[in-house]
Amino acid sequence: MQRLLWPLLLLCALLPAQQLQVSEHTLSNGMKVLIHPDRDVPNVALYFFYKIGSRNERPGTTGISHYFEHMMFNGAKKYGPKQFDIQMEKAGGSNNAYTNRDITAYTDWFPKSALELMFDMEADRIRDLAFDPKIVESERGVVYSERRMSVDNNPFGALYEQVNAAAFTAHPYGWPVIGWASDIEAWTMDDLKAHFKMGYAPNNCVMVVTGDVAESEILALAKKYIEPIPSQPPPPAIRTKEPPQLGERRITVKRPAALPLLLISYHVPETRHADGPALELLEAILSSGRSSRLYSRMVDKDQLVLGINAGTQLALEPSQFLFSMQVRSGVDPLKAESALYDELSKLAAAPIAAAELEKAKTQKLADFYRSLKTISGKANLIGQYEVFFGDHKKLATVAGELEKVTAADIQRVAGQYFKETNRTVGTLIPAKGGAQ
Amino acid sequence: MIARTLLLACACGMLLAQSPAVKLPPFTKKNLPNGATLIVIEKPDVPLVTLRAIFRGGGEAVPPAQAGLAPITAELLRRGTASMTADQINEKLDSLGANLSAFAGPGATFISMEYMKRNQDPSLALFEEILLKPSFPEAEFTKLRAQAVDRAKSAKDNPGQAINLYWPPFFFPAGHPYHAPLSGDELTLASLTRDQVLAYHKGNFTGRNLILIASGDLAASTLGPRLEKLASALPAGVAHKPPQAPPVKFASPRLLLLDKPDATQTYFMIGWPGLSRTDPDRTAVQVVNTLFGGRFTSMLNDELRVNSGLTYGARSRFDEDRLPGSVAISTYTKTEATVQAIDIALGLLAKLRDQGLTAEQLTSARNYIKGRFPTEELETADQLAGVLGEMELFALNKGEIDDYFSRIDALTLDQVNAAARKWYRNDNLQFLLIGPAAKIQEQVKKYAPQMKVQAITEPGLKTPAFN
Repeated sequence: MQRLLWPLLLLCALLPAQQLQVSEHTLSNGMKVLIHPDRDVPNVALYFFYKIGSRNERPGTTGISHYFEHMMFNGAKKYGPKQFDIQMEKAGGSNNAYTNRDITAYTDWFPKSALELMFDMEADRIRDLAFDPKIVESERGVVYSERRMSVDNNPFGALYEQVNAAAFTAHPYGWPVIGWASDIEAWTMDDLKAHFKMGYAPNNCVMVVTGDVAESEILALAKKYIEPIPSQPPPPAIRTKEPPQLGERRITVKRPAALPLLLISYHVPETRHADGPALELLEAILSSGRSSRLYSRMVDKDQLVLGINAGTQLALEPSQFLFSMQVRSGVDPLKAESALYDELSKLAAAPIAAAELEKAKTQKLADFYRSLKTISGKANLIGQYEVFFGDHKKLATVAGELEKVTAADIQRVAGQYFKETNRTVGTLIPAKGGAQ
Repeated sequence: MIARTLLLACACGMLLAQSPAVKLPPFTKKNLPNGATLIVIEKPDVPLVTLRAIFRGGGEAVPPAQAGLAPITAELLRRGTASMTADQINEKLDSLGANLSAFAGPGATFISMEYMKRNQDPSLALFEEILLKPSFPEAEFTKLRAQAVDRAKSAKDNPGQAINLYWPPFFFPAGHPYHAPLSGDELTLASLTRDQVLAYHKGNFTGRNLILIASGDLAASTLGPRLEKLASALPAGVAHKPPQAPPVKFASPRLLLLDKPDATQTYFMIGWPGLSRTDPDRTAVQVVNTLFGGRFTSMLNDELRVNSGLTYGARSRFDEDRLPGSVAISTYTKTEATVQAIDIALGLLAKLRDQGLTAEQLTSARNYIKGRFPTEELETADQLAGVLGEMELFALNKGEIDDYFSRIDALTLDQVNAAARKWYRNDNLQFLLIGPAAKIQEQVKKYAPQMKVQAITEPGLKTPAFN
């Protein structure tokens, strides 16, 4: 459904320089506008990336960024309650939005004919969002239902929340993006208004437009509708740094389930860190495709798990490299755990073969092409590079960055981050009530 | 790269200036002597190519006791051939940056590969190996079967997923080709044998059943002949004979409550008999469904999510298969709101039938469907492969795409409302619920005197018999 919560466990990709031509402009109120015309289909993707997410919350208001994402569709001054969706769908468009730890993104897709309407409606809600107490209450129920669906009634969601909370003892990345249930029940109108003021300023936002557009018409619309909105102070910097982890942490979740789950988290640096490209490639080496080290060993040869995922998340601050797997029936989760550690220690013990490194680079390049298939894929990629790598132009240089990574880099990075003292281990232990 | 995109864009822009309609790009289609059909279409905006082999048959070609055989067979194609082990195939695919997926639907099996243009030759060789020379190694079969059994068990941990798995066995009567769960359950899967796989493969993966499609950054003039050779290498075999079945009818409402004591919300589906992919009412039903439960501002989502805050999402959908399927409402809500949410859904169904839709709603739905169509159906090479495959499977012509906008525009309000009354029924409704029975059983009895309660932990996806 729409306005999904789940953060993109997205891979930054390998990016040949010549692929995307993007023109860049900054409005006088500070909003950055990135435009990539592509007339393959007569449609437009219009994305807004607000640099506010769950890390900007505090105990008592966790989840409010995501809740706000919902509220942005509930009426402003010119376009009242429901009108954003009604007018948009009537004009042939549809939308979604997502929230993660660092950003809240709004994604509009529509035929070219709806372009001006979309600018008018987006400007209206950034400038003059309405806060109707009745709607606030109703939307609270929607978000609670989303939490029940994605966490409370979902074994993986339940385990992920607990592992995350254990992995971070101080930094705001430790609380769930959807928010603790008690906070969803309790946040107030004042909390909402303060959050809006903190995050929804034009200078805290990047706009990306791809599709059947001309640069000049986008600039004219941006000047007419968006530029008059005044800038505001951006959200305060996050002061808290996660202190170094001093030893392994272990948690369990017991609930009815057919199979155990295992989720293991290692602290790694933020996306734009110098070790980023090596971590990207480690992701591929470990779990992209069935010849990857973990799939081949744990799913196929030893048959310890049903499937395995490994990777980082896009993050502005030091984050995690996560391994998640569903343990096979009759297998002791500890056995799966030690197979994982065995594979990780091999990477730290010896450099990988040239062909394996080359394979990882090829996979990343293919992934990159796949993200260019649609105007929405391109809008998302451009915005993510602008926000998480600090500059969309890095789309052109990351190819080289990945190419530069050597087998020795892979070995060093694996040894540095995949160590016992840096990990948090979560196990979901099936209680009675799951299919046996 | 960029230059080519701009050139294409200009051509496209001029076309659109003349006509707002959206057309299928040119493609070539050839019927081969062994009965196979080959379709090639150029879509050069990203240096990737999709190859898709579609074999008519799929789940409906499998006896009910062997449910799950179709996806198991499709998956096994990549797990060993005459000259390559599963490991070698995996290594090759990953080194090429290619993806391979196998999927079985009710009427066909789909094997798709997406490769990088620069790796065309080795990618084609690998696709040919998988398609023409699978060896179905015993050890791989045994391994896959055990994995599938575990996967089937764990599917029930997620009620949102489980309800969709239970729906076909609940809705379609025993003996109907769509009754057995397509991916099988832990009981049918555990009973499968390699001999069954071999027999199914031999009978179904034949020239007469094959539709081979290539779409993407390719040269039709050179790739076409190579694919023709590949497709022609399959034995003609026997053409799949689609099984027939009388339309599904219900003499009374039925309700099946799958008890999941730890659930904190109730997931429910309410369904009734629907139409087939080729029914002449399909376009009208698309409009009705868009307005009833197919988009954010739909009647169901507006009332159950936006106005009442009872759920994260509520929708309706209809099957589009060879034989008529179901139309169904689906959503979920906190346990204590179960009856409230079901009553609201039923009220909206009655409202749709009694009051009908307005001219303004019709206009909005038309715009919505047309506005999304280019990015839903025609933007990527794999979307085009999907559209062309569907046209071939259901014997449609390119008017299916090229005349789509005019068909949508030609619908009158009377036609749409007639379709709403005909296809959105509220008699003898079929209710499937997953939730904590102890808390809701007494209240939901009112929807169907024929109510059954069954533990979700009961092995398999069998549903109880109703009188």
